[in-house]
Amino acid sequence: MSDNVQSNPGGNKALTIATKPFAPDDEAALRESLKRCSPSTFEAAVQFRKTGNADHMPAVVIGVIERFVEPDLRSKLKDGDDDLRLIEDLGIDSLTMMEIVILVEDVLQLSINNDELRNLRTVGDVKTFIDCKIRGLPLPRPTKFLPIEHIGAVMPVQPPFLFLNEASVSSTGANGKYKITGQEFFLQGHFKDNPVMPASIMLEALGQLAVLFLLEGAPTEPGRAIGANTIFFTGCEGVRAHRMCKPGDILTLSIKPKRMKMPLATFEGAIRVGQEKAVIAEDITLTFAYVETAIAPAAINGTSQPAPEGESAANPPLRVAINA
Amino acid sequence: MPRVFITGLGFVTSIGNDAASVAGSLRELRHGFETYPPFQKPDIACKVVGTIKGFFTDSVDPEDWTWPAGYEIKRETIRSMAPHGLYAHCALLQAVADARLGEADISNRDTGLFAASGGSPMLTYYHHDRMLKLGPARCSPLGIVASIVGTLNFNLVAAFRIQGASCGFSSACASSAHAMAYAYEEISLGRQKRMFVAGGEDGNRDAILPFAGMRTLSLQTDPALASRPFDVARDGFVGTGGGVVVVLESEEEVSRRGVTPYCELAGWGQASDGYNVAISHPDGTGSRIAMENALARSGISAAEVDYVNAHATSTLIGDISEARALRSVFGEMGIRPAVSSTKALTGHGLSLAGAMETGFCALIMREGFTPGSAHITQLDPACEGLNILRATVPQAPRVVMKNSSGFGGANVALLMRRA
Repeated sequence: MSDNVQSNPGGNKALTIATKPFAPDDEAALRESLKRCSPSTFEAAVQFRKTGNADHMPAVVIGVIERFVEPDLRSKLKDGDDDLRLIEDLGIDSLTMMEIVILVEDVLQLSINNDELRNLRTVGDVKTFIDCKIRGLPLPRPTKFLPIEHIGAVMPVQPPFLFLNEASVSSTGANGKYKITGQEFFLQGHFKDNPVMPASIMLEALGQLAVLFLLEGAPTEPGRAIGANTIFFTGCEGVRAHRMCKPGDILTLSIKPKRMKMPLATFEGAIRVGQEKAVIAEDITLTFAYVETAIAPAAINGTSQPAPEGESAANPPLRVAINA
Repeated sequence: MPRVFITGLGFVTSIGNDAASVAGSLRELRHGFETYPPFQKPDIACKVVGTIKGFFTDSVDPEDWTWPAGYEIKRETIRSMAPHGLYAHCALLQAVADARLGEADISNRDTGLFAASGGSPMLTYYHHDRMLKLGPARCSPLGIVASIVGTLNFNLVAAFRIQGASCGFSSACASSAHAMAYAYEEISLGRQKRMFVAGGEDGNRDAILPFAGMRTLSLQTDPALASRPFDVARDGFVGTGGGVVVVLESEEEVSRRGVTPYCELAGWGQASDGYNVAISHPDGTGSRIAMENALARSGISAAEVDYVNAHATSTLIGDISEARALRSVFGEMGIRPAVSSTKALTGHGLSLAGAMETGFCALIMREGFTPGSAHITQLDPACEGLNILRATVPQAPRVVMKNSSGFGGANVALLMRRA
């Protein structure tokens, strides 16, 4: 049934946390609603309802999700991995997602619009989403799938030194792909009669994905945004290359922010080819700065134009250690 | 035209939850009636129901339900079901095992499923009431597929990964006979090799009590007297629910798989009374023509029919209409096939009835007996001239006619022949 999730008109409304006192009747109703959840879920829900303290929220949300996951898959949730995918890893389809939402709404006394749900792909997405609702923060930006045109339009680095063919960016990280074509100019010399993707370039590709995250996935603040021309490489640690990558290989890149505090953002990154580990970087640190939103690159909505030729040519490329 | 055979059966009925106990009840004429607790109120005159034992489905929350050991059903499967969805799901599991079908035999383009049920009045009411009281945002996303007519086919087709033809049939108490008939056609026309035919009814307060408005339910308080088709003192039908699944297969498939069928489904006929929305034609006109059409289609002569499993529900008018129809098809030619109504034991299964009783007919042909028409103390004189069996006889019929009639004057006759 493809039309089971339809948009509700009205858009995202800020949550109003119930302020009325938590009565014994409410507790009984809560107990009934959560009767198939763990006792700790119920306890967390009671605490949340009594105090409004959002720290109790993750336990409630995970407890509710757990209740709708088939018993043999529940152990996965115990590990607390925010990257668990709702559909692929937990077998939650869109209808089960609706059941989860209805119960969460009931228990946490909030209301969620259907169109807010479309972009929740992982357990982490759900936690972040509910947390934002409860704290009245702006909702995280959904995972965005960026084709090459889009990447080219926002990135300060450009071909022939752009090593991303496609990417997806969420609030918790970014993933990308790059196919080594064999036409890359540096493969003529690296090495003689034996084209091998330089490890330094692979690190560069991870750095580029981190730049894309800063531009498209990092939390925004009113009135200012990270300036595309303010991002530079500062250092990396714990880099290991595990596998030679050659023309025809498709690099699957992923980065996740570890720390982010102006002016530094540190990421962990990894490149795989199929299931094989190719490169690991424990820390990639970039420096960045904010610019006023009015002069920041336009938010991407599919209609943005690539930056003018002259401007991007003036941007220095990311500086990476080129002899890695 | 490919011949069609019945190769598998599954039962969740008031007289047993597997073929062996159903056969025992039919042979021994053991009924499945009980005083039904939800009806023990002063304003409810009807007291008796053909109850399903070993299941608990009273709750509107499927996760509260319980069922007999041996059926493994996941939450994601049961959450969209009506009570009769659970019954029929269990019956289908039985039928699959009975027909010795493997996974690949079930999920392929040549295997389909037709079903019939009246939907779930209990869940329809619950979800609708919730929507009106709490608003649509608090409604279960699966409320619709659990409640509306069609819930049975939606659920079974999805749960068993059916890839061939699927459809639901709605002609009230002729529904699952229609499903059987059109499943026969799917195979007979070479469009499918195998069809599952499922009938189901919740058989609970919400499914049965609305018939009280029509004054068509028996008010007898004694479970042993409430359902007595053809008896002069009958006073209405006793409601029941359950789930029954019949597996139909082409002759080619039967021989390829090397299974022994219960019997052949030899043909069918239908006709409508064109008379009244809820009352059967006093002369049983539609029923008579349906039987004649079934005989003509299957190339079987009336004289070959040696048992009729009647539709007779124990209502005042309906039983007589059918008796008249039987007399005009058989009696006027001096033919007296044995006649009985197994609804005397099960109660009236409404949309389930046709599939349930077709399953019974297949079963008795294998088990080698013809069940009597139970609970007759004094035969209604209007049934004079019919060979209404008062007790079980230990011979299997060779050719069986199964009648079904529903609201609107829909009539279906199915013919089965020993394989």
